[in-house]
Amino acid sequence: MERSNYQRAKSFRKLKKQLWLLFLLLPPALILITFIFLPMASALWYSVYDWNGLIRGEFVGLENFRKVLLDPERNWFFFNALKNNVLVFVSLMIIQNGTALVIALFLAREPKGARFYQVVFFIPVILSTVIIGFQWKMFLNPVFGLINKILNAIGLHDWALPWLGLPETALPTMILVNAWAWVGFPAIVFLAAIHRIPRDLIEAARLDGGSEWQIAKDIIWPLMAPAVTIIVVLTFIGSFNWFELPYIMAGLEGSPAYSTDMLGLLFYRTAFGSISAGGTEFGVGSALAAIIFIVIFVFSIIATKILVAREVELN
Amino acid sequence: MAQINMLGVSKRFGDIEVISDTTLEIKDGEFVVFVGPSGCGKSTLLRLLAGLDEITSGEITLNNQRIDHLAPAQRGLAMVFQSYALYPHMTVYQNMSYALKVAKEQKSVIDEKVKKTASILQLSEYLDRKPKELSGGQRQRVAIGRAIVREPKVFLFDEPLSNLDAKLRVQMRIELTKLHKKLKTTMIYVTHDQVEAMTMADKIVVINNGEVEQVGAPLELYRSPANQFVAGFIGSPAMNFFSGTIKDVSANGIHFDLNNSGASIFLKCSDANVSIGESIQFGVRPEHFILAKKTDQIITGEVYAVERLGGETYIYLSSQTDDDIIVHFSGDREIKVGEKIDVGFSIKDCHLFNSKGWAIR
Repeated sequence: MERSNYQRAKSFRKLKKQLWLLFLLLPPALILITFIFLPMASALWYSVYDWNGLIRGEFVGLENFRKVLLDPERNWFFFNALKNNVLVFVSLMIIQNGTALVIALFLAREPKGARFYQVVFFIPVILSTVIIGFQWKMFLNPVFGLINKILNAIGLHDWALPWLGLPETALPTMILVNAWAWVGFPAIVFLAAIHRIPRDLIEAARLDGGSEWQIAKDIIWPLMAPAVTIIVVLTFIGSFNWFELPYIMAGLEGSPAYSTDMLGLLFYRTAFGSISAGGTEFGVGSALAAIIFIVIFVFSIIATKILVAREVELN
Repeated sequence: MAQINMLGVSKRFGDIEVISDTTLEIKDGEFVVFVGPSGCGKSTLLRLLAGLDEITSGEITLNNQRIDHLAPAQRGLAMVFQSYALYPHMTVYQNMSYALKVAKEQKSVIDEKVKKTASILQLSEYLDRKPKELSGGQRQRVAIGRAIVREPKVFLFDEPLSNLDAKLRVQMRIELTKLHKKLKTTMIYVTHDQVEAMTMADKIVVINNGEVEQVGAPLELYRSPANQFVAGFIGSPAMNFFSGTIKDVSANGIHFDLNNSGASIFLKCSDANVSIGESIQFGVRPEHFILAKKTDQIITGEVYAVERLGGETYIYLSSQTDDDIIVHFSGDREIKVGEKIDVGFSIKDCHLFNSKGWAIR
């Protein structure tokens, strides 16, 4: 009798614990399902139907995917935007994250005013993309913009270009603006990773005769691998979801001449309509969204797998 | 040949002076141990030698050449860290060869040196392993190996055994002593463990609050401590101290009373710089007590704890002098808590310190 009472009490405790866990997990799970998984599933669902405005038409299988990837009249837009997204990713990896690494290595040496520099580099990160876009659009204005005024003032008249108006310079300019705005974030992540490396290891390398460059290359770089993994994956996701900055600085059409067109902009134009794309094509837009998701998902998995393999425990 | 001299070396971190006006001579081939309590500045002194911290004032010379302005790698010293500081992403071979690779040595030379060192330290079969695949003792040997391959003029060890378990620590202690005999290189070793200091050192430097208290051979420090700090620090368990007052000073020696005990003691000494009425500290090591029979002096105490280890016995007494006493007997003694016992000591084994803590001899 006593034993069965004990077992009842035990199973009641277990049930209480499970209910508590359910109570904690249910709200975030519901939010994830409602705002992430359901829209993803519905996008996939929409992508296999023909749509007439917002009215669902008949089931068309993979026709919408074919239109995006294989239709000779429109697949140029997809591959042009894809090429631009790849360009953005590669450029940001080199310019933004490379600069961030240099800044982190500099701040890790704790120069005078290191805290001040940290704040200075990080301030643009907390600014809204809308503010950054408009601010730089004004700076880059060919007539009254600050950049060209400075260039003219220092005698570089040939350099005073309509930076956002030329197909050759528009995208690189926007990439530089993005790098300016975001460089503080990878810098802080890299700095935290460098601070995690035990001081003894750096001192041992110094006693071993390593120069600053050799210590950075042989000791610090391999040991900050987890931070590099995070930054590579986040940069890729950010580059392939690039929307606000090109939208604000170059408009929905990726002007001039689609030189700043991105998959995000193309999706928006296709799904919700625009001057160039005409009316809404919900099904084709959904197919495009599904393709963007697959590209990001596959890259993130592969990159994480490869990059995690070079990570080592510090102890 | 590697003789190190420190002349008036001091180190400040802001307003705090952690090393003050230290002058020290370390001869070629010596095994010198810096010992002292945590935070006394012994590791800082080692880091100043290594060049990992800059001196605030003074001079450091190696074979009469100033090295205090040189970068760590240019000083010709190698250091073994308490944490081992092995590069976790490199194999044992890569760890040991890194300094040579950086120095752009030929591959064949690197290979020969690493393999020879690995063989001395019995690491040959672990050369392809990463540090995390090694035991604590093996990691420690790799750290030592990394120092050896550089063929430094001086080895610096910063508490290298403190992360090892007691058994391994004893084993590594012996291995390090053997290694010193084999390499005949100057070694400077930092520890807070006085057993390590006593068993390994040719010369011990006792440091307290950033100042050198005494320099000498292990048994010299044990037998003739210069002051009360050294007397209390060297020897385990620590020396017992009793308060007393000087009653008489003559050419032959001094007469003093132990406070609250009624005991009056005469100590022969040649250089007693004390005056009548001055407070003194009287020290007796735990191992110099004997169960009283016909000894010079007797103290009575009540046993409040007994530690019987078989081969030795530690007895803790509260004495009539209001001081707690630790007594060490070799062998097993059947003494019970609550028992009152008389312990005695021979005057020749005792130490006396004046009111400033300096030894009276």
